[in-house]
Order: sequence, then structure tokens, then C-alpha cells
Amino acid sequence: MITLTHYLVLSGILFSIGIVGVLRRKNLLMLFFSTEILLNAVNIGFAAVSKYYGDLSGQIFSFFIIAIAASEVAVGLGLLVLWYKRSGTIDLDSLQMMKG
Amino acid sequence: MEHILSLIVFFPLIAGLFGLVVNKENIKTFGIAVALVEFIFSIILWIGFDSTNAGYQFVQYVALIPQFGVSYYLGVDGISLFLVVLSTLMTLISLVGLNIKKDIKNLVITILFLEMTLVGVFLSLDMILFYIFWELSLIPMLYIIGAWGSGQRVYAAIKFFLYTFAGSALMLVGILYLGYQYYLATGTWSFAVPDWYLLVLPFNTQLWLFGAFFLAFAVKVPMFPFHTWLPYAHGQAPTIGSVLLAAVMLKMGTYAFIRFSLPFFPDASVYFLYPVAIVATIMVIYAAMVAYAQKDMKQVIAYSSISHMGIIILGTFAMNAEGLTGSIFLMLSHGIVSGALFMLVGVIYDRRHTKLMSEFGGLATVMPRYAAIFGVLMMAAVGLPLTIGFVGEFLSLLGFYRVSWIITLFAGSGIILGAVYMLTLFRKSFFGKVTNEKNKNLKDLDKREFTALIPLVALVVILGVYPKPILSTIDLSVKKMINLMERKALLPDTKEFLVKVNSIGGTK
Amino acid sequence: MEKYLYVALFAPLVGSLFSLLFTAQKKNVITALVTSGLLLLSFVSSLSLMYAVHSDMIIHVKMMDWISAGNLNLPFGFVVDNVSVVMMVTVTLVSSIVNIYSMGYMMHDKGYNRFFTYISAFVFSMLILVMSDNFIGLFIGWEGVGLCSYLLIGFWYEKDTASWAGNEAFIMNRVADLGMLMGLFLIYWQFGSFEYDVVFAHIGGINPAVVTTIGLLLFIGAMGKSAQFPFHTWLADAMEGPTPVSALIHAATMVTAGVYLIIRASALFSLVPEVGHVIATLGAFVAVFAASMALVNRDLKRIIAYSTLSQLGYMFVAAGLGAYWIALFHLMTHAFFKSLLFLGAGNIMHAMDDELDIKKMGGLFNAMPYTAILMAVASVALCGIYPFAGYFSKDMILAAAFNGGNYYIWAALFIGAGMTAFYSFRLIMMVFFGDKVYKKLGFHPHETYPFVLWTLLPLGILSTIAGFFEHPFEEFTTRLLSKYDFSFSHTTEIGLIFLTLTFVILVVLATIYKYGRGGFSKQIETMPLYILLKNQYFIPKIYETMIFRPYYVLSRFAWKQIDVRIIDFTVDLIAKILYLLGQRSRKMQSGNLSDMLRWMVVGIVVLLALAIFYRPGM
Repeated sequence: MITLTHYLVLSGILFSIGIVGVLRRKNLLMLFFSTEILLNAVNIGFAAVSKYYGDLSGQIFSFFIIAIAASEVAVGLGLLVLWYKRSGTIDLDSLQMMKG
Repeated sequence: MEHILSLIVFFPLIAGLFGLVVNKENIKTFGIAVALVEFIFSIILWIGFDSTNAGYQFVQYVALIPQFGVSYYLGVDGISLFLVVLSTLMTLISLVGLNIKKDIKNLVITILFLEMTLVGVFLSLDMILFYIFWELSLIPMLYIIGAWGSGQRVYAAIKFFLYTFAGSALMLVGILYLGYQYYLATGTWSFAVPDWYLLVLPFNTQLWLFGAFFLAFAVKVPMFPFHTWLPYAHGQAPTIGSVLLAAVMLKMGTYAFIRFSLPFFPDASVYFLYPVAIVATIMVIYAAMVAYAQKDMKQVIAYSSISHMGIIILGTFAMNAEGLTGSIFLMLSHGIVSGALFMLVGVIYDRRHTKLMSEFGGLATVMPRYAAIFGVLMMAAVGLPLTIGFVGEFLSLLGFYRVSWIITLFAGSGIILGAVYMLTLFRKSFFGKVTNEKNKNLKDLDKREFTALIPLVALVVILGVYPKPILSTIDLSVKKMINLMERKALLPDTKEFLVKVNSIGGTK
Repeated sequence: MEKYLYVALFAPLVGSLFSLLFTAQKKNVITALVTSGLLLLSFVSSLSLMYAVHSDMIIHVKMMDWISAGNLNLPFGFVVDNVSVVMMVTVTLVSSIVNIYSMGYMMHDKGYNRFFTYISAFVFSMLILVMSDNFIGLFIGWEGVGLCSYLLIGFWYEKDTASWAGNEAFIMNRVADLGMLMGLFLIYWQFGSFEYDVVFAHIGGINPAVVTTIGLLLFIGAMGKSAQFPFHTWLADAMEGPTPVSALIHAATMVTAGVYLIIRASALFSLVPEVGHVIATLGAFVAVFAASMALVNRDLKRIIAYSTLSQLGYMFVAAGLGAYWIALFHLMTHAFFKSLLFLGAGNIMHAMDDELDIKKMGGLFNAMPYTAILMAVASVALCGIYPFAGYFSKDMILAAAFNGGNYYIWAALFIGAGMTAFYSFRLIMMVFFGDKVYKKLGFHPHETYPFVLWTLLPLGILSTIAGFFEHPFEEFTTRLLSKYDFSFSHTTEIGLIFLTLTFVILVVLATIYKYGRGGFSKQIETMPLYILLKNQYFIPKIYETMIFRPYYVLSRFAWKQIDVRIIDFTVDLIAKILYLLGQRSRKMQSGNLSDMLRWMVVGIVVLLALAIFYRPGM
């Protein structure tokens, strides 16, 4: 029997993977993947808890997140392409214009 | 007359905005005209003021954020009336004496803006409003010192700004907390001062809040050891900045002590009386000594201000009508005298571009009128009877004698040390032979300088001989305030103390 | 009669303000004439007031309210009674004479108009001092005369020593004034008023310890103004001022204000004889102490100044012993002969081009006989030889000291009298007789203007005959002041008088004899005692090294070390630390996205930890 705990553990594992990816990866594309993983980890959590309580708002929320993640990726990839055209790299360390 | 207070507060601002379209040649005249009208308004206020009424007059109340009790609330009583008049007078005089060509337009408008904030501080009866004016007043002064100052002006300006700003940050917390306490006690929000007067706070809360307010006021006064911004600010500020800073801005701190600290926290005020008094005494003596060691005329007067502010604090914390009335009068007299002295230093600085005493000597021969006016004001500064300086100093010390004779004795040594540094300054700069070639052909005071200084000299004498109309008006409001303190005092010790210091006779 | 009071009081003020208008202009005789006229007017008014008071009329006016705050209500009130009117007459008389005299003395001075402004202002302040009906009014006058004294000592402000002496006088007086001010505060909180009437009416009901304190504090003020030890140094230095000023302010009037204060507050001081005893002892000490410094001094004016100090000591003895009217009497006679002495010295200075060293004079009698005679009269009066004025007043002070059983005070005064006789005639002999040293030094002395001499004549006459008014004076003043009864027998009295008189005359004769034959040898100048006296007991030097310089050093220390190095440094340090923190932490803002993300995670962890572990209210 797969209980709520299993889902939450899965969500946690995914989240951790996402976090590590966000922290460690230098490639912007990989970064986007990691953020997707993060978001989807949360989505799993939402959906699972929603089912558990029988409250639909969690699932609705995850839809929102999917929609936002999609648009985020669309915009983000656009910017990424632009950046690649301009600088010829998608390495994260090349983006340091905000240095204090 | 209903809206006269709002008029007095905002007239300089609005007129200053109109000043933006006045051209550069006429802006000084324009500024003087505005300041004159403003001064006349304040005189009308004085005339219309009912001096038999101790309470707030010409009150104006508009709720701004009723949910949180924030309001636009102005009122004037005997304590604030003369400080308003002093502000408008000194602004007028300093504009008349203005002798700066650079960016004159900005300067005049800044001064008018400053005038609004100063008057606003003295007239606000809502703590939030008060706080707004209190902080706003820093901006024009920052600009004046930073833009028209000399030498390390940016350092001085920033030091001034940050120091006073940091001091008042804690006050804001205090204000908000006090507002919350009021809400807890009554169930409604209010930041109105008269409402807060009725609020009796537990002793511990009083102690903390007193501390929070104290820091802000102490930096502004400035009290030892928070005074080091003042010599820099004065040293670098242009004459007009020094005049307004010394004459009016320093009084904001002492005014706030009387208006807020004492009646809000009577028990804490009595509890902290001795530490405060000792600090004030140290301030009197220490600043007088440092003043004596200075080489720069302006610094002497800057430090002498600190010394005099110590006596004002003492008078305030005497908590009797004699001392409080005296300290408010001393605020006025110090405003006039120190303002005039800074103008006088400005006069010589304009001519020689130095303020070092060693550069002068024998000025009495070259500039006899200047020397005479300087002499009169010097005598007022050392508190000679029948000049304005004596009345306040005498009453403040007299009042504090009731609290502690030994502290009064030490603080009283200020009258000796004051004479030491002032007479030394006078001797070094004015007496002796003219040794410096550059001083041989100095011009005596010109018409502009005369017009600015003569009214001040006249006031020094007139109010020294006949201070009564001012004193009795102040006295009435002060007595009311003491009465309030006595009524709301929590501890029996406080009550006993207040009764004791306000009555004649008995023990030593 | 109120009219006369106001005329007497305000005429000098009007004169002062009038000549003030001319201060910026060239010398103008009109200022001198107007001020002299107004001072004479004031004198005449004072005389008529005296007449009125004599017919038992006391004039008491309240002019206007001055200060009111709390329980304090302080009007400008003036009272003309038996004591104040005596002072008024003395002050206005001497000042009129000095003012007229100065027309000659200051004739070629460029500060001519200014001088008369100051003198009249001084008289006005002095009149406020004596006429006031309350302690604060007295204090106003007190500070006012202090100011005028400051201005007049430093009159020739181009001279460094003069302006220094002015500062010294002002500041030293301020020190004593603080004591007096404390006394006034104490009075206020005891009585709720500063008025003499109120204070003296309730003085009996006050704790004697408090009365003692008040008495001592007031006396500190009196010590400053009357230049009693240890505040005496300013008076000798005050001789930097023009000589008429020394005559008026530093001999006849202002310096006696301290004595006047004791007399005025006699109701208070008579309650606490211990304080009176302190006063008398200090007075006796100063009488000898100051006279001893006059013995060896070579400066014409300083000798007279020390003499003034010594005579003030006599007055304090009388006042301290409760013989108030005698103190007042001596104050008056002293005003006459001491101002005469000073004005005579002024004539000499003029003749000798402001030379003050008496060793450089000698034999001036031929050149200026009238001055010599007048000064001799003054000196005889000062020594207290019958029938001159000083005899009557000074002798009574000695008698009072003997009468009270204070034999050591009497002995001190007795020795003081001998010293007085010595230095007075030493001065006369060295200036007017003996070798004409001045000729070798190229001076051409000449007698001063006749009108100046004529103005001195009234003082000469008064120095001679004023003593005979002893009994009317006693009758007049003791209507207000307490009587003083001598308890010893007539024979003792005669014996005392005889003893003192013989002693004084012997000293005078010995001095004349000794200096007639060339004076003392040079040898004496190497004696330690001589050196001690010559250096004024090293007191000015002690003040210089123990007070003035350390104060300056301490002030420098306070500024350079404490203010700049500690306090301001701390303030800047806080700012610097904050700035440094910013410098350090800006590295966080590397602009690198993964760094930022890391910090974000740290933030999240911290917030999560807070959310989990922090429970407010637990």
C-alpha cells in the first residue's frame, strides 16, 4: 500500500535533488531542469496531500504551478537563447553583471 | 485665526515652492519677504494668544488615519509659543544677514523649508506628525552643510545626519510602542499628545520608554557624550546654517524633554534625575573647558552652546516652575545670543576667510562697532544681569538648587568657566595691538550686517530688563504641566519629590 | 521724594547713554560736561534725599516687575534709607569729583568719550547696588559694577597687561559671585523672596546652621568684590586702568561693596556672631597682609592699592564685630582720603609721563606743591592722626576690636596701623622729597591744570574734617543699624587712643627721619622677607602655576585627548565598523547566480529553523 508518507518522501527526495542541482550546476539549462524538478516535487506534495484530505484546492494549486512553470520556462528559455546569442555561452559564471 | 497654525507651518513651504520661479537676483529679497510675513504671522499668533490660558490654543485637528489614531493635530501653548516666534525671528534675521552668492536660490528655498519643519516640530501635538517634522528637519540642514559648507563639509554633514538620525530611530520604536500601550489601555488608537498625557504607564515601561526617547533628544541637544557631531557641523556649516542650528535646532531636543519626557514618564524622569543631572553638569564644565582650549572662534561658540545646553537640561530636570520656566527662557536667550554670535563670527569670516583667533588681535581698534556689538553679546553669553542671558541661567540654577545644592554648585561653575573662555576669546581677538597686516584695513559692519544684528542686540537688552511678559506666559503652562505630572505620578516618592521641589522653605 | 530717587538713580544712566552716542567720534568735551552735570545732579538729589531721610522718611519704591516664575516674584524695588543714602552721597560725590578731574586727566586720550560713558555706567550700577531693596537688585548692581570695572581696567585695551588684568578682575569676581549666588539661592528657598524686608523679618525663625551658611556664602561674594584674601590679586593688577578709575572704582566705591553687603545684611550677620568672627579675623589678617606688601613696593599705584586692601580689612573687622555703623563710617572717610590719594597719584603720573616707579621720582615737591600738600593731607588722614578723618573712624575700629576682647585682632590692627604710617610716609618722602632722581632721567614734571586741583579741594577738606561728623553720623545711621556700645571705661579708651596715636606718630616721624636721610640701604633688598614681600608672597605666581596653567593644560587635554581621541573616535569607530561590515559583506553580492542561490538556501534554512524552534511567549 502506498501511503501519503511515500508520496511525501518522494517529494522530499525530488526536492533535494532539485536543490542540489540548483546549487551545483553551472549550466543555465541544467539550472532550469533543476527548478523544474523542484516545482514538480512540490506538485507531487500538493497532489498527494490534496487526495489525502479530499480537498481539491491542492490539486488546483498544482495546476497553477504547472502553468506558471511552463510560462517561466518559455520566458526563461527565450532569455537564455538571447544570452547565448550575445555571449556565446550559457555558463552561469558569465552572468556577473550584478556584482556588488 | 482658526487656521493660523497651519498657515504658520505651511506658509514657508508654499512660498518656497513659489520661490522656484523667482529669478536669482530677487530670490534673497523674496526670501526675506516671506520670512518677514512668516514672522508677522507668529507675532499675530502671540498677540492673539490668551496668556491667561495655560492649555493649548488655536488647536487644529484633522484625523488622517483614524483606524490608527494618526492625526494632523496642531496646538500652541506657553511652552511652544515663544519657540515658534524664535524660529521665525531667527530665520528672518539669518536671511537678512545672508551673504552667499553660490546657488542662492536653492539656499533660500532650503531655508524656508527648514523653517517649516522647525515650526512644525514645535506646533505638532501628534507624535507621528512630530516625528515626521523632526526627521524632515534634518534634510535641509544636511543639504545646507553639505552644499555650502567649507572644508570637510561632506563628512560633517553626513555625520550630523546619521548621528541624529540614528538617535531618533529608537524614538520611533518608542512612539509606536507607546501608541500600542495606549491601545491596550483604552482600546482605541491615538498618537495625540494630550491623550498620551492622560495615560499612566507602569513604572518599568516608563523606564524603557524614557530611555528610548532620551537617546533621540540627547543626541539632538546634544548631551555629553553624544555631542561630537556639533563641533564638526558648526565648524563646516555656512554662517546661516550655524545660526539656525544653534539658535533653533538644538532647542528641539530640550523642548522635547519638556514636552514629552517629563509629562509622559514622570516617575522615570524623577528616577533618572540624578544621572541626567550629573551628565548635564559634566557637560557644562567639560564643554566650557574644551571651549577654552579652542583656537577657532566658531568652535568656541559651538562648545559654549553645549555648555549652555547643560544648564537648560538642569533647569528642565529641576521639575519646578522656576527651573522649567527658566530653562525655556534660556532656550530663547541662548537662541538669540548664540545665533547672533555665530553671525558675528560670520562677519569676520567673510572679511578674512579665517576664524582662527591667532589671526586676529586688536580688532577693537579697526572695527569698533563690531567690537561693541560682540561685547554686548558676549556679556549676554556669560549671563550678566539685565541682559537676556542672566534670567534663564539664574532661574534654571535657582530651580535646581532645590533639588541638589552640590550639583548646582558644580553646574554654577559654568558661569565662571563661561567667563573664562568668552573673555579670553574677546581678549585674543579684539584687544591688543593690530599685529596682522591683513587686519589693518578691515571694514566695520556694513548696513546689511547692522540690520541683522541690531534687532538681536535690542532684544538682548529689552528682554533682559523686562522678561516678565514672556516669563509669566511660559510659567502658566509650565505650572499646568507640573500639576499634570504630579497627578499622574505613580510612585509616592515621585509625588513627594514634586511637591517638595515646588514649595518654599523647610530643609536645606 | 520719589522724583529725587529716580533722578539720582537715572541721571548717570542718561549721561552714560548720551556719551555712548559719541563713542565712535572724536573727542568731544560735551560728553564730559554732560556726564559731570548729570552726576552732580545725582549728587544733589542724593543730598536732598539724605535730608529727607534725616527727617525720618524712608523712600521705598517698586518700579516694575522684573522676573516672575513659580513662587518667585521679583520687582525692581529701590529703597532709600539711612544706610543706602550714605552710600549714595558718597558714591555720587566721589564720582562727580572724579568725573570732573578726568576732564583734565583724560584730555589727550583718544578714548575720551568712551571713558565718560563707562564712568557714568559705573555710577548707575553702583547706585542700583546700594539702592536696591532686594538681594537680586544688589546682585544686578554687583555684576554691573564688575562689568564697568572690567571695561575700565582694560580701558587701554591695546596694552596686553591691561586687558589681562581686566579679565582677571572679572573672572575672579565671578568665582566669588558663584558663592554669593549660592547664598542667594539658599535665601530664596528658605524665605521665598529676595527682599530685605521679608528676609530679615523671618530670619529669626530659621535654623541657625542655615543662617550661618547663608552668611558665609554671602561673605564669599563680599570677599571677591572687596578683594579680600585669597581673591586679592586682581585689585593690584587692576591698577592698569586709568588712575581716576582706580580712585573711583578700586578705592572709593566698588571695592567697598562687599562691606556694604555685610552692613546691609547686618540683621542676618548679627544673628551669627561666629560668621562675624570669621569675617573680622580675615579682615584683620588682610589688614596686615596687604599693608606688608605695600611696605616694599615701588609702584606708586600699587602701594595705594595695597593700602586700600588693608583698609578694607579694617572695615571688615568692624563689620564682622557688629560695629556696622563704624564700618560704614570708615567706608565713607576712606572714600574721601583714598580717592584723594589716588587722584594725587594721577597728577604725579601725568607730570612724570606715566612713570610709576617711585625710585625714579623724589623731590617733586617744588614742581607740584599743591598736589604734594593734598597727598600729604590724605596720607595723614589715612594714618589716622588727629584731627584728620581717618583718626576717628580707624581708631574706633581698633577700640571695637579691643572692646570685643579680640586682642589678637586688635594687635593685628595695631601693627597694621604702624605699617600704614610707614608706607604712606615712605611714599610721600620718596616722591616729594629727597634727591631729584627724575632730573637725571629727563622728566620735566609740572603741576596739573588749576581746575583739576580745585576739584580735589573738596576731597582735601573732607579728609580733614569728616571725622567731626562722627556723632551725627552715628545718630543717623544707628536709626537703622544696631547700636554698638563700648563697655570699657573712659580711661581705657583714652589709654588706647594715646597708645595708638603715639605709635603711629612715632612711626611717621621715624619714617620721615629715615627717608629724609636717604632711606634704607640696598642690602635690605636681599633679605628673604623683602623678597617674599616684593613678590607678593608669591601668590600671583602660585595662581599662575597652580591654577591658570593647569587649567589650560587640562582643557587642552579634554579637547585633544578626551573629545577627539576618545569620544569622537568611538563615534567614528562605530561608523567605521559598520562601513567595514558592509565592505566585507559586499562579497556576498558576487553577482553569481549560484552564490545567490546558496545564500537563498541558507536563508530558507534559517527561517525554517526559526519557524520550527522559536515559539514566542514560551
